[in-house]
Amino acid sequence: MSMERSMKQFEEDRKEAVQLAARLLLASGTTSPRVGGVGECSVHILDDECDIEDLCQQLEEMSGEKKSWDFFRRDAAMLRDADAVLIITSLRSLTDPSDINCNMCGYLTCEYMREKEKLQKGPGVAYTGPLCAFRAANVAYAIGGMVSQARTLGIDYGIFWSAGAAAMRMGMLPQATGFAVAVAISVTEKSPFKDVPLNYEEINQRTMNDRIIQRLWPQFRSIYS
Amino acid sequence: MAIIEMEQLIKNGLDRALELMTLAAYNSIKFGNRNTVKIIALGEEELDTVSQFCFSLGDMSPLAARDGRALQEFMKEPLGMLIIGDKRKSDFNYNCGACGYSSCAELNKAEEVEALTSNGPMCLFKAINLHMASNAAAAMAWHLGLHCRVFSTYGFGAKAMEIIEDVDTAVSVVVSAAQEDPFFDRHKYWTRDYWDEIFKKEFPTFLRGFIGAIEE
Repeated sequence: MSMERSMKQFEEDRKEAVQLAARLLLASGTTSPRVGGVGECSVHILDDECDIEDLCQQLEEMSGEKKSWDFFRRDAAMLRDADAVLIITSLRSLTDPSDINCNMCGYLTCEYMREKEKLQKGPGVAYTGPLCAFRAANVAYAIGGMVSQARTLGIDYGIFWSAGAAAMRMGMLPQATGFAVAVAISVTEKSPFKDVPLNYEEINQRTMNDRIIQRLWPQFRSIYS
Repeated sequence: MAIIEMEQLIKNGLDRALELMTLAAYNSIKFGNRNTVKIIALGEEELDTVSQFCFSLGDMSPLAARDGRALQEFMKEPLGMLIIGDKRKSDFNYNCGACGYSSCAELNKAEEVEALTSNGPMCLFKAINLHMASNAAAAMAWHLGLHCRVFSTYGFGAKAMEIIEDVDTAVSVVVSAAQEDPFFDRHKYWTRDYWDEIFKKEFPTFLRGFIGAIEE
C-alpha cells in the first residue's frame, strides 16, 4: 500500500470513527437520568463540516451582540476544528415547569412562574428565560452522560453553551427548545479544546496556515513552475 | 491479622465510596471552571432528621412524603448520603437570559425569594454545574457497583433543616449497599387495590368505554 493511499484510508476511517462515537455519545446522553424520571431532552448531531461552519458563523455573528460574549469567537475557532457537534436540548423548561414548586427560578410556585413574562427573542438574548431550572438540570445529566462516554472511548470533548444558543438562534432545533448546550468531539491527536492560548480567535492553526503557507504557496508555485 | 467482619467492611467501604464520590463531584467538569459547590455527607442522626422533615411535608408535597417514608426503610440497610449545594448568584457574566434577567448583574441585584426548597432566582448555569457534580458522584457510585439515586427532596430537606449551610439550593446523591436496589420499582409500598384506585382517580377517562357508558 502506498503511503498516500494508507493516509487517505486513515482519514476516511477517522471520520467513520467520529460518526460512530457521536452516535454512542448520543446514546449515553439520551439514556442518562432525568429529573423525576420524565423525559424531555433531545440530542442533535452535526457531523457535516458545512453544518459546523454555519454554526461557527452564527457564533461569530452573535459575539458582537454583547461585550461579555466576546468569547463566542474563540469558541467558533475551536468548533471549526471539531469533528462533530452534539446539541442537547431541554424541550420543557420553557413552557412546562416541573410542578414541584422548588423556587429555584425565584417565583415560589410553578403557577407564578408560568405567568411571568419571558424575555423577548432578539440580539443579546441567548435563552428567553425565566426557564424552569429544575427541568433544565436534565441537560446537566445528559452532558454528564456524554462526557463519561467520551472518556470511556478516549476521545476529546469540549462543552459550549454558546453553540447551543447559536443553534437555537439558527432555528435548527425543535421549536419548544428552551435551553440548549453543545458538546463538541474531536478524534485527532491533539485536542482542539485544550491548551487554548490567548487571542485564539485570531491566531490558531487554521489562520497560521492561511497566513504563512497558503499565502506564499500560490506565488511560489507560479514562479517555480 | 485480626479478622474484620463483613458488616464493618461494608460500612468502611461505604465511607470510602462517599469519599470517592465527593472527589468525583468536586473534580467534575464545570462551566466557567468555577468550582463553588459545597459537599457534605450525612450521619445517621442527620439522615433521620431529613427523613422526618420530608415526611412531615405530607400535605404539601406527596413526593417529599414518599421519599421521607422511604428513607426510613433505606436506613435499615447500609446507606450513605451526599448533599451537594451551591449559591444562587451568577459569577459567570454570561448574560444569557436563561434566568429571566437580561444580564447577570440584574440577576444578582434581584430581590432574593426564600423558600424551604431553594432560594431564587438562581443562575441556570450554577444549577447545571451543581447537577453535573451530582451526576459525577452518581457515575462514581455506578462504577463502584452501588445502588444509587439522586433525590432533590432530601437535598431540599437538608437545606431547610440547615444541615447544609450557606447554600441556596441542594441536591442529594444517595447510595446503598442493600440486598436489592431499594430506589426503583418500590412496589412494596402499595397494594394492587390501592394502585388501581389511584389510577382510576388520576386517569378517569382511560377506563371509560364510550360516552354515555354506565360507570360503576
